[in-house]
Amino acid sequence: MKICLAASAGGHFTQLRKVARGWAGHSTFWITTADVVEGVLAGMGRVYVVGECNREHLLRVLGVLARCIGILVRERPDVVISTGAAPGCLACFLGRLLGAKVVWLDSITNVDRLSLSGRLIRPFADLFLVQWPDLAQRYRWAECVGAVM
Amino acid sequence: MIFLTVGTQFPFDRLVKAVDDLVGTGIFQEEVVAQIGDSDYEPRNFRAVSSLDKETFDDHFRRASAVIGHAGMGTIAMALDGGKPLLAMPRRKKYQEVVNDHQVELAVRFEALGHILVARDERELPAKVTQLKTFVPQPRQANPDAVIQRISQFLDLVTRSRRSV
Repeated sequence: MKICLAASAGGHFTQLRKVARGWAGHSTFWITTADVVEGVLAGMGRVYVVGECNREHLLRVLGVLARCIGILVRERPDVVISTGAAPGCLACFLGRLLGAKVVWLDSITNVDRLSLSGRLIRPFADLFLVQWPDLAQRYRWAECVGAVM
Repeated sequence: MIFLTVGTQFPFDRLVKAVDDLVGTGIFQEEVVAQIGDSDYEPRNFRAVSSLDKETFDDHFRRASAVIGHAGMGTIAMALDGGKPLLAMPRRKKYQEVVNDHQVELAVRFEALGHILVARDERELPAKVTQLKTFVPQPRQANPDAVIQRISQFLDLVTRSRRSV
């Protein structure tokens, strides 16, 4: 089975790395936002760098969207797993359109409410994990089994 | 030695200046060393560089008796991993230091759990610096294994359903 791992460079990426053992034995590739993490990922599958974007820069969103479409159409993952942020959300959404299952792990930095990306991807997520128990109580479709850091 | 770090991505002059002023008052009994990113502000009272290579950064972090920084998850995680007392001041959207105020939420929660000390703004900094001298952080019990298990379980389910199609 092929898995796409999508996370912005920095904290989102660190959190996704913390659960890397979960997909041992599957074929994986990464979508991330900055070159700096490429070295860290040596031997962990192909790495695509799509650049950073957020809702305040629509043109950049379109650029990231176009690059993600190209990557996902070529790779055709069975599952997309993401911790966010906006580019991860786009990858999940596109993956879903192409028939992939979606796993969302909302970042631990979202304490009192979900990330905007998390709220947007929620209708398309097959497994939605949060890292604070009170968030799982507040959003009943979200599951909390623990925090990764 | 107190290590001040604000990351290298964006400047955080508000914190750097506040710490600089405090060093001037003599509140710190130790030397302050800093990594301050592309800061416009030039500290007068301590040694600062814009960025450190990873090895030097790790070394400073290890040798410091305490760390002062922004409330980014990277800094917090590193302090908790090393059992290092951390005083964090969140970056704020209203000063264009960050795109949203998630650092405030995160900092307040981690402080409530006893993991870190938090100065919500510059005015709270002096009192918190005093607290930092005796602060012993509560170790964090994270559980990545439980998350790994849940994701693996889900992946198994997908694998099985793909096979049966």
